[in-house]
Amino acid sequence: MNTVVQTVGLHKHFGHVRALDGLDLEVQRGEIHGFLGPNGAGKSTTLRVLLGLARATSGSATVLGYEPWTQAVELHGRLAYVPGDVRLWPNLSGGETIDLLSRLRGGTADSAAYRRRKNHLCQVFDFDPAKKGRAYSKGNRQKVALIAALATEAELYLLDEPTSGLDPLMEEVFRRELLAAVGRGATVLLSSHILSEVEVLCHRVSIIRAGRIVDGGTLDSLRHLTRSEVSFAADGLDAQALARLGAVHDLTLDAGRVRFTADSDRIAEVLPALGTLGVQGLTIVPPSLEELFLRHYGDTSLGAETRADTPADGNHGSRRHLLGARGRS
Amino acid sequence: MGVLLVLWGQRLRRDRWQLLSWVVAIGAFAMFAAAAVTQTYGNVASRTEILQVAIATPAILLLRGLPRGADQGAFTFFLIYAFLALLAGLMSTFLAVRHTRAEEETGAAELIAATPAGRLLPTAATLLHGATANVLVALAVFAGFLSQGLEPQGSLIAGAATGAVGLAFLGAGLLVAQFMGTSRGANGVSAALVVLAYVLRGIGDATGTPGAGGTTMTEGAASWLSPIGWGQQTFAYSGNRGWPLLLPVGLGAGCLAAAWFILGTRDAGASVWGTRPGRAAARRGLRSPVALALRLQAGSITGWGVSGLAVGLLAGSLGNAIAAIDTPDTSITAMLRLMLQSQGTSLTQLMVSVLFSMAGVLAAACALQAVIRLRQEEAAGTAELLLSAPVGRVRWLAGYLLLGAAAVVLVVGLTGVGAWATLTGSGDESMPAGALWQTALAQLPAALIYLAVPALVFVLWPAATIAGSWALLALGVMLGIFGAMLGIDQSLRDLSPFAHTPVPQGDATDWSGAWWMLLIAAVAAALAVGLMRRREVGSP
Repeated sequence: MNTVVQTVGLHKHFGHVRALDGLDLEVQRGEIHGFLGPNGAGKSTTLRVLLGLARATSGSATVLGYEPWTQAVELHGRLAYVPGDVRLWPNLSGGETIDLLSRLRGGTADSAAYRRRKNHLCQVFDFDPAKKGRAYSKGNRQKVALIAALATEAELYLLDEPTSGLDPLMEEVFRRELLAAVGRGATVLLSSHILSEVEVLCHRVSIIRAGRIVDGGTLDSLRHLTRSEVSFAADGLDAQALARLGAVHDLTLDAGRVRFTADSDRIAEVLPALGTLGVQGLTIVPPSLEELFLRHYGDTSLGAETRADTPADGNHGSRRHLLGARGRS
Repeated sequence: MGVLLVLWGQRLRRDRWQLLSWVVAIGAFAMFAAAAVTQTYGNVASRTEILQVAIATPAILLLRGLPRGADQGAFTFFLIYAFLALLAGLMSTFLAVRHTRAEEETGAAELIAATPAGRLLPTAATLLHGATANVLVALAVFAGFLSQGLEPQGSLIAGAATGAVGLAFLGAGLLVAQFMGTSRGANGVSAALVVLAYVLRGIGDATGTPGAGGTTMTEGAASWLSPIGWGQQTFAYSGNRGWPLLLPVGLGAGCLAAAWFILGTRDAGASVWGTRPGRAAARRGLRSPVALALRLQAGSITGWGVSGLAVGLLAGSLGNAIAAIDTPDTSITAMLRLMLQSQGTSLTQLMVSVLFSMAGVLAAACALQAVIRLRQEEAAGTAELLLSAPVGRVRWLAGYLLLGAAAVVLVVGLTGVGAWATLTGSGDESMPAGALWQTALAQLPAALIYLAVPALVFVLWPAATIAGSWALLALGVMLGIFGAMLGIDQSLRDLSPFAHTPVPQGDATDWSGAWWMLLIAAVAAALAVGLMRRREVGSP
């Protein structure tokens, strides 16, 4: 049994809103699977269905061989979950919450080993467990859930935007600890809307859009989807010189800087030309997820968009939908 | 000024339904009470008679007020004013905390404070909002009394007295909110102050001196320690004095000045009494959903338990105090039955059963709070954290129900212990211990209904849990406890669980109501647990 998470044609409707609209997701044992999508695409709803906290309207979900809705308790004994927006009991300290969750998961049988792990995690995450839940900042609430999840060994980690609110230093600590867990044989499903985060951690990704998986595979196979933005100082370069850059897209000269975009997997081909031109103040910016979506899915999935929302007028309408607040789902 | 109006408007908008319910309920309470007096005690002779009984029975004075004559208006004021003032006080403290400390706790206050509204204006807007609410309450009471043909000037004074008490506690609530770091704590302390004011007034009235004619009394010293007692000193309808109202309004202003001073010197979000740090590791026992539920509710269960104990102590000692008056003749006992909606053969038994029905209401409130906590956990998102561990939905719900049932038994049990202790201590033998414990036992079924039915609401219609549960309790108390006094029809009164609580009378006790209620509670609880299997958690 190498498929740890599998959903087939998963639907979840809230009234007329289709939060999940035929979602097919597959996560293999031992991988870190990125679950990418803009806000409101259905990432959290999917995780809640996988946890058995919400019931699918139709379709099937299997997690570690269990049916989440009916076998939630057995399932939860083998996984750990970090919610996207961690809410704590205001009058319980962070340490108490971590202990409670770990004990409920049955991860404290070897109490000395558990204490060691907990202390280690509190230390590397620079976390004070003696404060009351109401006194923690967003980032510290996130740490409570992360430490509670990592303090006991689980077969599967369901992480919903786990680094939101963490500073870059702590993101690095999180990555290290997560890789250690995967080294022990754990599987991770990591939902995120930050492409760079997924890029450094994940073996494979699934891209969700309006309740459906629109693309998936290894990151390399998705590289063709992304286009990096290149810009540099225009200093005396004329159109003739720029023509030597070859096959680049969206070339503009604006406010003294030249900008263009190039396919991320072909950026190396552009570099020699840039060297010949001797460009100054060169920056290469990787694409944001929003840009990726706009460029590749904005138009194609418009038909699906207009069903639930106001009629969209071309690209502009699709952007409004993508970035518009549909609430957490 | 524009900013202040915006903040005020936002408060009115947020509270519109809640405020309307309070005002309408208080006004309707006044109206029904006045109507019931006309209906039940229509002539001076019957009112004189009942007042004579009341003056001889401190427990009645403790619950009701200070008799100031058999005139219809004065009699109505005696009967209902203290309740109205109690409600106005609670409305005001909850309002004050809701728009100050609670906002600071959730962080919403910070958003507002970062605008030109600053740190101080929100409290000013809350004051304006609370003052408006109390003016509306005063008008509602005035209108309620006036509509039943009571004279205008007295009705106006009665309304003003109710509103003035509300203003006093508005100030108190704002002040308490400066001291407590959490809205839960601030609500608890300020509501306790309101209840304390009611009890102090009661003790003062119960220890007063009867006047000539047997229908008036002069208050004891304790009444002067209570804002509710001050309002009562207006002697609406009999004296129509305005000056005592300066006292509650002055107290409110004093509290406000102190609150304003503290507000001006403290950081946004800080409190005079800071919150203590917690433990780095959990205690050994915190390892199950029930243990967590107990940890979360230990404070409120203790509060309800202590209230139950206090009611019990009162029940035992008052019975004795009455017995000491004289050997009561049967006509007085009969009168008391009518007045107190109660049954029993000795005065002690009467007092015990009346006060135990209060304990039953306390236990019911304690029970429904357990269910409300369940909903709050769900709404706050902490339930999701818990249920992502190997904890089933059904086990989670069942744990709360179990704890709620235990808390109900505890509250009623402590009431029994209190009553037993004071009865035995004072050598009152008019009520055997067996009958006492039967009375305590009889309160359980109605309270358990208020555990099981809200649980069913929680499963079927989560969003209605909090408002719905309190509404059911309020309705049950109004119909079952005050129904007869308010002149409500028997068929309606029978809808309330409290109307079916058995009154032990030795072998003649009719326990059928208790069994039916237990059955209903069991079915509702079983349905809730069964349906929980199919319910999503944390659904919008």
